[in-house]
Amino acid sequence: MKKEDTVKLISAEGFEFVIDKNAAMVSQTIRNMLTSPGDFAETERQEVRFPEISTTILEKICQYFYWSLQYASGKETEFHIEPELTLELMMAANYLHT
Amino acid sequence: MGGACSRKQGQHINEDGAYSRLSRRYSRNGSSKWPGTSFYRTTIDDKSRIAFCPSLMELCTYIVCEKIDEYESLCMLPKDISQQIFDELVYSRRLNATYLEAFRGCALEDIDLGEYPGVDDSWMEVISSQGSSLLTSDFSGSNLTDYALIHIKDCDNIQDLNFNFCAQISDTGLDHISGLSNLTTLSLKRNNSITADGMIALSNLVNLSKLDLERCPLIHGGLVHLKGLSKLEVLNINCCNCITDDDMEPLSELKNLKELQVSSSKVTDDGVLFFKGLHKLALLNMERCPVTSACLDALSDIVSLLFLNLSRCKLTDNGCHKFSRLKALRVLNLGFNDISDAVLVHLKGLNKLESLNLDSCRIWDNGLINLAGLHRLKCLELSDTKVGSNGLRHLSGLVNLQILNLSFTVITDEGLSNISKLSTLKSLNLDVRQITDAGLPNLTSLTGLTHLDLFCAKITDEGTNCLRNFRNLRSLEMCGGGITDAGVKNIKDLRSLVLLNLSQNIHVTDASLIYINGLTELVSLNLSSSQVTGSGLQHLKSLKKLKSLSLESTKVTVNDIKQLHLPNLVTFRPE
Repeated sequence: MKKEDTVKLISAEGFEFVIDKNAAMVSQTIRNMLTSPGDFAETERQEVRFPEISTTILEKICQYFYWSLQYASGKETEFHIEPELTLELMMAANYLHT
Repeated sequence: MGGACSRKQGQHINEDGAYSRLSRRYSRNGSSKWPGTSFYRTTIDDKSRIAFCPSLMELCTYIVCEKIDEYESLCMLPKDISQQIFDELVYSRRLNATYLEAFRGCALEDIDLGEYPGVDDSWMEVISSQGSSLLTSDFSGSNLTDYALIHIKDCDNIQDLNFNFCAQISDTGLDHISGLSNLTTLSLKRNNSITADGMIALSNLVNLSKLDLERCPLIHGGLVHLKGLSKLEVLNINCCNCITDDDMEPLSELKNLKELQVSSSKVTDDGVLFFKGLHKLALLNMERCPVTSACLDALSDIVSLLFLNLSRCKLTDNGCHKFSRLKALRVLNLGFNDISDAVLVHLKGLNKLESLNLDSCRIWDNGLINLAGLHRLKCLELSDTKVGSNGLRHLSGLVNLQILNLSFTVITDEGLSNISKLSTLKSLNLDVRQITDAGLPNLTSLTGLTHLDLFCAKITDEGTNCLRNFRNLRSLEMCGGGITDAGVKNIKDLRSLVLLNLSQNIHVTDASLIYINGLTELVSLNLSSSQVTGSGLQHLKSLKKLKSLSLESTKVTVNDIKQLHLPNLVTFRPE
């Protein structure tokens, strides 16, 4: 995996998730951050900090990104969400336009 | 067979007349502040046609709704998210008084519980806890009482309230909401308790722009309290048979009125005089009011009128010349009046007309000359008139015509050549006994047809050859008795069909069912009085969308139908 094809997503606790850029782009918010013209730090360094999203939630979101790519390519599996995570996940999904 | 041929569609009272499409828009309080909702539904519901992946938001909403009993409160969520969950719970019929608790203080904007089962006063505490966030609420068909309306008081920003079919709400309840001065829309359809006295409460609702009091039988004398509601644009008092000319006087001050519906009331020509100054009025529905042509003296001053329904009134030819002044008219319904060709001369110049209903009027062939120049006509209703084949000549230039009803006229096969070039036609009613196979070749170019009614026409298998190209056809009725299995075979590829009525064709057998089983879009199927049997019925198992199945006077039993296990079947005969 070439470095330029990945992005780094950093949780509130500072945990880093390195994932494929095209997976991260499932989120409209991240897509805007990474592709917007100008010299945003995110665009330049290809990393995004989420001070309000916990590691557990960010991990789940990364899983969703990959699940979503699979789904779009025709592999329609179920995406499991633990009920106790749901509300927090919703707030994050809302922010990420996902 | 005689019974079948005496059928006539469209005789039922149509409260909204020609404007049903328009008024339906207002009949329900819209939840438009959450535009994402409809998109969400399509992805979750229609699993077979998912074009794109469900969003994480949608998946989470789905989970919360499934496990709603595990959440005590959702008020930590942003209000648009809790709104989405609320809407989904309502849509999936999962919400009840217990689960509603989770929404206490959620600052919801829309509470759309119209026709929702089980809604009563016990729901109101949580609903009122939305406070000033609440903008629209629909409680139609609920068991709410006057007591419930005390709670609504706290929602002082509410704009849109719907209490249609809430039989237990009375004058006392109205009094409780009299302080909600932000209200712009209020609906109280079919309320037998509200009286003129209670309507005093409405006089405080100074921002009201839409008021619906359809089928409220005790409001006579109460409209006087609307006098000061200068922002009122839409008033529906259809089917309030207590309403008289006196009630019309206060309306004369409502200068912003755009839509007025007073059908099935006691309003006469004298009452219509009060409309004279309503210069913004675009829609007037006076169906079934005892008005005569004399009312046109006043009405013809309202040159802003676009929609006018005077069907089933007491119009006569004399005085109808005033129609010629209403040059903006787009929709005119004059059906079931004692008027003749003589009136059509005065419609000649109404070249904005898009819809004209002359059902059961004394219209003959020559009268139609006056319609020949009305090029914008999309809908023409000539059912039960004296129009024959010669008259149809005058329609051949109406190139925008989409709906043409010629049922129960005296047209014959030869006449149909006059409409063979009306390629914009979508709906054609030829429920006429004189029409036979010989006429159908004239129709073969009308491939845009979606509705074709040949109910009592004398069509046989040979005629059905002409229908093969009608691939857009959604409804087809042929009940003249001349169709056999060979005829059904000819229509087997009309896969857009949603409604198919082949009743009274006594030669249709189980063999036809093999052809029908490919018509998987069918929602309604009628094969009454045929030779279809229970064993043949097995072929219909593929019709998963079927809601209505009629097999009266056949050998089929109710058990035969039940054993098909059709998932969407609601009505069936025999039952």
